[in-house]
Amino acid sequence: MIKVDKLSKTYTTYERGGTFRDALKSLVIRKKKMVEALKEVSFEIGEGELIGFLGPNGAGKSTTLKILTGILYPTSGEVEIMGYVPWKDRRKYVANIGAVFGQKSQLLFDIPPMDSFLLNQSIYNIPEQAFRKTMNEMVDMLDLENIVRKPTRQLSLGERMKCEFIMAMLHRPKVVFLDEPTIGLDVIAKGKIRDFIHEQNKKGTTFILTTHDLEDVEHLAKRVIVVNHGEIVFDNSMDHLRKYLGDKKSVHVTTRNPLPSLDQPGILIRKQLSNHDAELELDLSKLKLNEFIKELNEKSIINDMSIESLEIENIIKDLYGQEKPNDTPLILGKP
Amino acid sequence: MARTVDLPSPDEQKSNAGPLFQWFKIYIHGMKTAFASRMAYRGDFFMSMFIMMVVELFGPLVTLLIYHNGASFPGWERHEVLLLQGVFLLSRGIAFPFFMGMVWNTISRVQEGTYDLLLIKPRSILQMSIITAFDSEDLGKLIGGILLFIYALKSVPSLPLVNWASFLLLFIFSLITMFAFGLFMSGLGIVWIGNYRIYDIFMSVMDFGLYPRSIFNKLFQTIITWVIPISLLGSFPASALLGKQITGVLGAMLCSIFFLLVGLWFFHRMVRNYTSAGG
Repeated sequence: MIKVDKLSKTYTTYERGGTFRDALKSLVIRKKKMVEALKEVSFEIGEGELIGFLGPNGAGKSTTLKILTGILYPTSGEVEIMGYVPWKDRRKYVANIGAVFGQKSQLLFDIPPMDSFLLNQSIYNIPEQAFRKTMNEMVDMLDLENIVRKPTRQLSLGERMKCEFIMAMLHRPKVVFLDEPTIGLDVIAKGKIRDFIHEQNKKGTTFILTTHDLEDVEHLAKRVIVVNHGEIVFDNSMDHLRKYLGDKKSVHVTTRNPLPSLDQPGILIRKQLSNHDAELELDLSKLKLNEFIKELNEKSIINDMSIESLEIENIIKDLYGQEKPNDTPLILGKP
Repeated sequence: MARTVDLPSPDEQKSNAGPLFQWFKIYIHGMKTAFASRMAYRGDFFMSMFIMMVVELFGPLVTLLIYHNGASFPGWERHEVLLLQGVFLLSRGIAFPFFMGMVWNTISRVQEGTYDLLLIKPRSILQMSIITAFDSEDLGKLIGGILLFIYALKSVPSLPLVNWASFLLLFIFSLITMFAFGLFMSGLGIVWIGNYRIYDIFMSVMDFGLYPRSIFNKLFQTIITWVIPISLLGSFPASALLGKQITGVLGAMLCSIFFLLVGLWFFHRMVRNYTSAGG
């Protein structure tokens, strides 16, 4: 459904210093700087997939999204989505996609969301019956019955974001791009929106989710693409991502007697809370879990212990932290 | 997995109406939405419209003062100059609320990064820039223009039909010129981010259209006819209506068409260079 081949985008920016003198100087002379936002990025996404598209700030994920939505022209490379080249067939193409930008509202601030929906109906030329049916279904699903007729400026952030989803999906798009859709929302609103995305995905809509909220990714995405420095550093399933740093466990242990020396292969002390309490990271390829528990219990007597898979946050931090993708290919086989 | 709701896809959502009808349908909807937005603050809405109207009438007031003190524009009676200025205000009164808002809309959206939201709609970016920019308070300009036009017309003896026909044709060209101006400024607003002075420069240049072309020297007359056809905004249509002899009108019309075509090309070329704001 989505084919991206060697996509590159280079921007020209101008360097300007931080001082007043630099600002004055920049009025006359500006130093040009070429920024390679994307460097020959390639990937494919199938119909009905829900992809987490991650990366640190400035990694190139928004640029990718903007090219895929037909907003920007690339410098080189090819993109084909549902048979369209986004920047060449923009008008026909965007009739089949939707987009939710967490930080840019499509709703009109002073009037109720309902009026914005009706304007979208005109723009997308949605037949009246289909429009009412889709809108009622989504309003019902997101509990917005009494909300859509209130002026947008009076709505809470969560209510507004739910309305943004309806705005983006009234025309039943086949692909939906989500850019930080749950930013600033409370747990309940986040949950409702995640359920909505999940429900729409089950009906066949393909989603590409860009976010810094890893809980969103864990709850929704089956596959994750991570970009850093304009290149893909990871493209595989969530399961593969969890195992990316090896077979590791996160352990929180409390003992009756002081903890023994933990300075041995396979154990990384993340936080020593007291002589009896520590958070550890175990590398199971170097140390067997049952042997670790047995030894610790014999030496210090375990009072309490929790063993969990390594938090996804640590893995992502590791991927983000790399200066540049190294020679070893980080992209594992396709899921 | 198949969709459970049986709805036509956007490709299937074809209307029987023609593209022009569709264009106007969306435009009217955008206009209604803009009115609704603006009327959320009723006091400000009426006050702004009134102020717009009063500000527009300052130019004609200066004309009245000039003639009151015994001075005049050579070859033009007082009521004739007022008619010219009425035509000029009519042209602005139609252009500003109905399509010139695209300039401000483009400049501010590009600066904020919300121009992206127009590009993800299945309509031409020019259409989206216009329909999301209807400026209801500028209707004050239109009301001012109509009032002045009617007032000046009262002092003019009855005019033959051919004068009205020539006037209408040239008035359409004045709107074409305005639209071309709008295209150039919007295009500049895409690449020259946050530069609201484009608008001010345009307003200052346009003010030359408030006076009869004949009061300027030959070189300037050539410029406002052949280079930037400002004469079409007031002087030429008013002269045609009054049956005055005008020279260079065909050249100005051709220049206006050329201006429009280059404006369209320039606008779309600049859209290609759009860089969006950071994510």
